[in-house]
Amino acid sequence: MQTPDFKGTHLFDRLCWAKENLEGVQSDYRVVYEDSVDECAKILVPDPNWMACALQGGILPPVWVYHELAKDEAQPDFKKHTRGYLLHQTEPVPAMTEEEAIEYLIMKDCPQSVWTNWDSGNKPKMVICKKQQLPQTREWRNSWRISDELAA
Amino acid sequence: MAGKIIADTLEHSTAGSIATNYVVEGSAKVWANVNASGTPATQDSNNLSSITDTSAGVTTFTFTNGMNDANYASYGTVRRTDDSNGNPYLTGYHLPTTTTVRFTIIDFNGTETDSGYISMSILGDLA
Repeated sequence: MQTPDFKGTHLFDRLCWAKENLEGVQSDYRVVYEDSVDECAKILVPDPNWMACALQGGILPPVWVYHELAKDEAQPDFKKHTRGYLLHQTEPVPAMTEEEAIEYLIMKDCPQSVWTNWDSGNKPKMVICKKQQLPQTREWRNSWRISDELAA
Repeated sequence: MAGKIIADTLEHSTAGSIATNYVVEGSAKVWANVNASGTPATQDSNNLSSITDTSAGVTTFTFTNGMNDANYASYGTVRRTDDSNGNPYLTGYHLPTTTTVRFTIIDFNGTETDSGYISMSILGDLA
Protein backbone atom coordinates (compact mmCIF):
# COMPACT_ATOMS: atom_id res chain seq x y z
CA MET A 1 0.00 0.00 0.00
CA GLN A 2 1.29 3.43 -0.93
CA THR A 3 1.63 6.01 1.83
CA PRO A 4 -0.45 9.13 1.07
CA ASP A 5 1.40 12.41 0.66
CA PHE A 6 1.54 13.38 4.32
CA LYS A 7 3.58 16.53 3.97
CA GLY A 8 2.23 18.99 6.57
CA THR A 9 -0.27 16.47 8.01
CA HIS A 10 -0.46 16.26 11.80
CA LEU A 11 1.68 13.34 13.02
CA PHE A 12 -1.22 11.92 15.04
CA ASP A 13 -3.36 11.77 11.87
CA ARG A 14 -0.52 9.93 10.12
CA LEU A 15 -0.34 7.43 12.97
CA CYS A 16 -4.11 6.91 12.85
CA TRP A 17 -3.87 6.23 9.10
CA ALA A 18 -1.13 3.69 9.79
CA LYS A 19 -3.18 2.07 12.55
CA GLU A 20 -6.08 1.58 10.13
CA ASN A 21 -4.09 0.48 7.12
CA LEU A 22 -0.89 -1.27 8.21
CA GLU A 23 -0.39 -4.59 9.93
CA GLY A 24 1.75 -4.33 13.09
CA VAL A 25 5.26 -5.79 12.86
CA GLN A 26 6.43 -7.56 16.00
CA SER A 27 10.22 -7.18 15.91
CA ASP A 28 12.51 -9.78 17.46
CA TYR A 29 15.11 -7.12 18.18
CA ARG A 30 15.63 -5.82 21.70
CA VAL A 31 17.96 -3.09 22.92
CA VAL A 32 19.55 -3.75 26.30
CA TYR A 33 21.19 -0.74 27.93
CA GLU A 34 22.61 0.40 31.25
CA ASP A 35 22.27 4.10 32.01
CA SER A 36 23.08 3.99 35.71
CA VAL A 37 25.57 1.91 37.67
CA ASP A 38 23.03 1.66 40.49
CA GLU A 39 20.25 0.22 38.34
CA CYS A 40 19.71 -3.00 36.47
CA ALA A 41 19.85 -3.27 32.68
CA LYS A 42 16.82 -1.87 30.86
CA ILE A 43 15.28 -3.54 27.82
CA LEU A 44 13.77 -1.46 25.04
CA VAL A 45 11.03 -3.19 23.05
CA PRO A 46 9.89 -1.64 19.74
CA ASP A 47 6.16 -1.10 19.35
CA PRO A 48 4.68 -3.16 16.48
CA ASN A 49 2.61 -0.29 15.04
CA TRP A 50 5.57 2.05 15.22
CA MET A 51 7.75 -0.53 13.47
CA ALA A 52 5.13 -0.83 10.71
CA CYS A 53 5.31 2.95 10.23
CA ALA A 54 9.11 2.85 10.06
CA LEU A 55 9.14 0.08 7.46
CA GLN A 56 6.39 1.74 5.42
CA GLY A 57 8.06 5.15 5.19
CA GLY A 58 6.55 8.60 4.74
CA ILE A 59 4.98 8.67 8.24
CA LEU A 60 7.57 9.30 10.97
CA PRO A 61 9.43 12.60 11.35
CA PRO A 62 13.25 12.68 11.25
CA VAL A 63 14.80 11.79 14.60
CA TRP A 64 16.44 15.22 14.95
CA VAL A 65 12.96 16.66 15.49
CA TYR A 66 12.70 14.72 18.76
CA HIS A 67 16.11 15.96 19.82
CA GLU A 68 15.07 19.56 19.20
CA LEU A 69 11.91 19.12 21.29
CA ALA A 70 13.93 17.40 24.03
CA LYS A 71 16.25 20.43 24.14
CA ASP A 72 13.22 22.68 24.64
CA GLU A 73 11.91 20.46 27.42
CA ALA A 74 15.28 20.49 29.17
CA GLN A 75 15.11 24.26 29.63
CA PRO A 76 14.50 25.18 33.30
CA ASP A 77 11.61 27.49 32.42
CA PHE A 78 9.89 24.93 30.16
CA LYS A 79 6.12 24.90 30.53
CA LYS A 80 4.79 23.57 27.24
CA HIS A 81 6.02 22.90 23.73
CA THR A 82 5.90 25.80 21.29
CA ARG A 83 7.65 24.00 18.43
CA GLY A 84 5.34 20.99 18.10
CA TYR A 85 4.94 21.97 14.45
CA LEU A 86 8.33 20.35 13.84
CA LEU A 87 6.65 16.96 14.31
CA HIS A 88 3.95 17.74 11.79
CA GLN A 89 5.52 19.98 9.18
CA THR A 90 8.95 18.42 8.74
CA GLU A 91 9.18 16.10 5.75
CA PRO A 92 8.64 12.48 6.96
CA VAL A 93 11.51 10.03 6.60
CA PRO A 94 11.47 7.40 3.83
CA ALA A 95 11.08 3.65 4.43
CA MET A 96 13.73 2.05 6.66
CA THR A 97 14.95 -1.49 7.04
CA GLU A 98 14.23 -3.12 10.39
CA GLU A 99 17.85 -2.58 11.44
CA GLU A 100 17.75 1.10 10.45
CA ALA A 101 14.49 1.45 12.38
CA ILE A 102 16.14 0.05 15.51
CA GLU A 103 18.99 2.56 15.15
CA TYR A 104 16.43 5.37 14.77
CA LEU A 105 14.55 4.09 17.83
CA ILE A 106 17.71 3.99 19.92
CA MET A 107 18.38 7.63 19.10
CA LYS A 108 14.77 8.51 19.85
CA ASP A 109 13.98 6.49 22.99
CA CYS A 110 17.29 5.66 24.72
CA PRO A 111 19.06 8.30 26.81
CA GLN A 112 21.53 10.26 24.70
CA SER A 113 24.26 9.56 27.27
CA VAL A 114 23.96 5.87 26.40
CA TRP A 115 24.00 5.91 22.60
CA THR A 116 26.56 8.67 22.10
CA ASN A 117 29.34 6.74 23.87
CA TRP A 118 27.93 3.26 24.30
CA ASP A 119 31.31 1.54 23.78
CA SER A 120 33.74 3.92 25.45
CA GLY A 121 33.99 2.36 28.93
CA ASN A 122 35.25 -0.94 30.27
CA LYS A 123 32.29 -2.74 28.73
CA PRO A 124 29.47 -1.81 26.36
CA LYS A 125 26.59 0.16 27.84
CA MET A 126 24.24 -0.97 25.12
CA VAL A 127 23.63 -4.12 23.10
CA ILE A 128 21.20 -4.87 20.26
CA CYS A 129 20.13 -8.51 20.48
CA LYS A 130 17.31 -10.88 19.60
CA LYS A 131 14.70 -11.54 22.26
CA GLN A 132 15.70 -15.22 22.34
CA GLN A 133 19.08 -14.14 23.74
CA LEU A 134 17.48 -12.68 26.87
CA PRO A 135 16.79 -14.76 30.00
CA GLN A 136 13.57 -16.70 29.61
CA THR A 137 12.51 -16.18 33.23
CA ARG A 138 12.28 -13.04 35.33
CA GLU A 139 14.35 -14.49 38.15
CA TRP A 140 16.59 -11.86 39.80
CA ARG A 141 15.35 -9.29 37.29
CA ASN A 142 16.69 -6.38 39.36
CA SER A 143 20.21 -7.78 39.11
CA TRP A 144 20.35 -8.16 35.34
CA ARG A 145 23.43 -6.64 33.70
CA ILE A 146 24.86 -6.85 30.20
CA SER A 147 26.86 -10.07 30.24
CA ASP A 148 30.09 -10.68 28.33
CA GLU A 149 28.25 -13.31 26.32
CA LEU A 150 25.51 -10.86 25.26
CA ALA A 151 28.02 -8.08 24.58
CA ALA A 152 29.95 -10.37 22.26
CA MET B 1 -5.53 13.97 3.48
CA ALA B 2 -8.81 13.17 1.65
CA GLY B 3 -12.17 13.12 3.44
CA LYS B 4 -11.59 16.05 5.78
CA ILE B 5 -14.67 17.49 7.50
CA ILE B 6 -14.38 20.72 9.43
CA ALA B 7 -17.14 21.10 12.02
CA ASP B 8 -17.51 22.70 15.42
CA THR B 9 -20.66 20.79 16.36
CA LEU B 10 -22.11 17.35 15.76
CA GLU B 11 -25.92 17.18 15.97
CA HIS B 12 -28.03 14.06 16.39
CA SER B 13 -31.57 14.03 14.99
CA THR B 14 -33.13 13.56 18.44
CA ALA B 15 -30.44 13.21 21.10
CA GLY B 16 -29.02 16.72 20.93
CA SER B 17 -25.62 18.03 19.91
CA ILE B 18 -22.04 18.01 21.06
CA ALA B 19 -19.17 20.37 20.31
CA THR B 20 -16.40 18.59 18.42
CA ASN B 21 -13.80 19.92 20.85
CA TYR B 22 -15.30 17.48 23.40
CA VAL B 23 -14.27 14.71 21.02
CA VAL B 24 -10.84 16.17 20.29
CA GLU B 25 -10.06 16.99 23.93
CA GLY B 26 -11.63 13.87 25.39
CA SER B 27 -10.19 11.09 23.27
CA ALA B 28 -7.16 9.06 24.30
CA LYS B 29 -3.95 10.34 22.71
CA VAL B 30 -1.94 7.25 23.66
CA TRP B 31 -3.10 3.77 24.60
CA ALA B 32 -1.51 0.38 24.88
CA ASN B 33 -2.09 -3.17 25.99
CA VAL B 34 1.14 -4.90 26.99
CA ASN B 35 1.87 -8.51 27.77
CA ALA B 36 4.35 -7.97 30.58
CA SER B 37 5.06 -11.58 31.42
CA GLY B 38 8.41 -13.00 30.35
CA THR B 39 9.92 -10.67 27.77
CA PRO B 40 7.36 -7.84 27.58
CA ALA B 41 5.75 -7.02 24.23
CA THR B 42 2.99 -4.68 23.12
CA GLN B 43 -0.15 -6.50 22.03
CA ASP B 44 -1.86 -3.44 20.58
CA SER B 45 -1.46 0.30 20.86
CA ASN B 46 -1.72 3.70 19.25
CA ASN B 47 0.89 6.49 19.29
CA LEU B 48 3.50 4.43 21.09
CA SER B 49 7.06 3.99 19.82
CA SER B 50 8.41 1.60 22.46
CA ILE B 51 8.07 0.15 25.90
CA THR B 52 11.03 -0.29 28.20
CA ASP B 53 11.26 -3.08 30.73
CA THR B 54 12.93 -0.86 33.31
CA SER B 55 13.11 -3.32 36.23
CA ALA B 56 10.87 -5.76 38.06
CA GLY B 57 7.36 -4.29 38.02
CA VAL B 58 8.42 -1.08 36.25
CA THR B 59 7.57 -0.33 32.61
CA THR B 60 8.26 2.88 30.71
CA PHE B 61 6.04 3.91 27.80
CA THR B 62 7.42 6.24 25.11
CA PHE B 63 5.13 8.12 22.71
CA THR B 64 5.58 8.82 19.00
CA ASN B 65 3.64 12.09 18.99
CA GLY B 66 4.58 13.62 22.34
CA MET B 67 2.25 15.59 24.56
CA ASN B 68 2.23 19.37 24.75
CA ASP B 69 3.27 19.38 28.40
CA ALA B 70 3.75 16.88 31.19
CA ASN B 71 0.44 17.74 32.92
CA TYR B 72 -1.58 15.08 31.16
CA ALA B 73 -3.72 12.41 32.80
CA SER B 74 -2.47 8.84 32.66
CA TYR B 75 -4.45 5.74 33.53
CA GLY B 76 -3.44 2.14 33.89
CA THR B 77 -4.69 -1.19 35.09
CA VAL B 78 -3.03 -4.56 35.41
CA ARG B 79 -4.15 -8.16 35.41
CA ARG B 80 -2.57 -11.47 36.17
CA THR B 81 -1.81 -13.89 33.38
CA ASP B 82 -3.95 -16.62 34.89
CA ASP B 83 -6.92 -14.34 35.74
CA SER B 84 -6.84 -15.62 39.31
CA ASN B 85 -8.40 -13.65 42.15
CA GLY B 86 -5.17 -13.31 44.11
CA ASN B 87 -3.73 -10.11 45.48
CA PRO B 88 -4.75 -7.20 43.30
CA TYR B 89 -1.94 -5.00 42.05
CA LEU B 90 -1.80 -1.27 42.26
CA THR B 91 -0.21 1.05 39.75
CA GLY B 92 1.62 4.29 40.25
CA TYR B 93 3.05 6.58 37.59
CA HIS B 94 6.33 8.45 37.85
CA LEU B 95 8.60 10.87 36.08
CA PRO B 96 6.14 11.98 33.40
CA THR B 97 7.74 13.91 30.56
CA THR B 98 6.10 15.02 27.33
CA THR B 99 7.25 11.79 25.66
CA THR B 100 7.41 9.14 28.39
CA VAL B 101 5.57 7.88 31.43
CA ARG B 102 6.69 5.16 33.82
CA PHE B 103 4.27 2.75 35.51
CA THR B 104 5.16 0.86 38.66
CA ILE B 105 3.18 -2.16 39.79
CA ILE B 106 3.26 -3.20 43.41
CA ASP B 107 1.53 -5.90 45.39
CA PHE B 108 -0.16 -5.44 48.75
CA ASN B 109 3.18 -5.86 50.48
CA GLY B 110 4.51 -2.80 48.65
CA THR B 111 6.93 -4.87 46.62
CA GLU B 112 7.47 -4.02 42.98
CA THR B 113 6.25 -7.00 41.03
CA ASP B 114 5.64 -8.06 37.43
CA SER B 115 2.09 -8.54 36.23
CA GLY B 116 0.65 -10.46 33.30
CA TYR B 117 -0.90 -7.60 31.36
CA ILE B 118 -0.85 -3.81 31.57
CA SER B 119 -3.39 -1.55 29.87
CA MET B 120 -2.77 2.18 29.85
CA SER B 121 -4.02 5.37 28.24
CA ILE B 122 -3.16 9.06 28.21
CA LEU B 123 -5.55 12.00 27.98
CA GLY B 124 -4.39 15.53 27.34
CA ASP B 125 -3.13 17.82 24.58
CA LEU B 126 -0.72 16.69 21.89
CA ALA B 127 2.36 18.71 20.97
